[in-house]
Amino acid sequence: MLRASSKRENLNVDLNAVVDSSSDPGVEHGSILRALTEATIEMRWDELDEIRSQAFATLGEAATVDALAVASGFNGITRVADATGIPIDNYEDELGRNIRAETGIDDYHYRQKYERYG
Amino acid sequence: MYERAQSEVRSDLRSAHEQVWQKIAQPGPFFSAEDRVAMVLEARQALLCTLCNKRKEALSPNAVDGEHDSVSELSKVLVDLIHRIRTDPARFTKTVFDAVTETHAKEEYVEIVSVVATSVIVDTFHRAIGLPVPRTLHPSHGAPHGQAEPKVVNEGAWVPLSSQEIQHPELGFRRAPNIMRSMGCVPEAVALFFTCFRNHYSMMGVPMALTQPQVEFIAARVSALNQCFY
Repeated sequence: MLRASSKRENLNVDLNAVVDSSSDPGVEHGSILRALTEATIEMRWDELDEIRSQAFATLGEAATVDALAVASGFNGITRVADATGIPIDNYEDELGRNIRAETGIDDYHYRQKYERYG
Repeated sequence: MYERAQSEVRSDLRSAHEQVWQKIAQPGPFFSAEDRVAMVLEARQALLCTLCNKRKEALSPNAVDGEHDSVSELSKVLVDLIHRIRTDPARFTKTVFDAVTETHAKEEYVEIVSVVATSVIVDTFHRAIGLPVPRTLHPSHGAPHGQAEPKVVNEGAWVPLSSQEIQHPELGFRRAPNIMRSMGCVPEAVALFFTCFRNHYSMMGVPMALTQPQVEFIAARVSALNQCFY
């Protein structure tokens, strides 16, 4: 979804930034969005107070609250996915095939978790 | 809800949270309102649970036995399920699912997942905007009301999925993604969760003060932090 939406808006997004905090994601205000997201998911509430104030100044109040809303929403939906063992959607268009090849996502499976953790 | 918020919370989001909070405090298809509210309280307690903290530090959560610090009358196997969903979703495996579904129907399992995941969204958002988590509502009386047989298929998930024929064009998808089908064996579980979630994601037709790439970057970063395969 990140790749598709970036392509539509002619942005050069670095997908590595999703897992590598030192990479510039290439989306506008990516650094502060990342800081808000990480503090929220890691429940660093005291730190988040400060980051939120910075974000208000940079992004504005509405965008800051929306960023926190997105992070909160995905904190819930990832749990639904993990607890139901759903397979990854098999979008067979060109973009879908390219992303699957680039990310190696087909190599991931819930069985790996079982093998690792029991 | 959100009366004391120092930031403006969108009215659609506030309204959705109020709606799901009330719904959780009502009987569901397989659990009483008391049980559903207890699920929320257990999910919160999990963050303080000694066993959960020990498991987080272990190489495998399944290598550490013990009793959870529980605050409810829910059975041990359900308390374990709820605590794991809340504190360690990255290492949630089918072993846990199998243990629960030995004694509970898959539909019961799905109802729990929906209530807990919905409460995670509501609680996380409250804390993120600087509010304490909201009080749970007093549970309504009444027995679980059951459900009509939904149209489901087995397509490789641990649980049956909604039939692909069930479309959600209002949500902007060409066809329903698996995540929307994942709780399809309990339509009320789907309704509860997505009534809440859809206001958190601009793909679902909700206007946001963020661009779509910004939204998708946050979503992807959360998935990475939570090590979500999906």
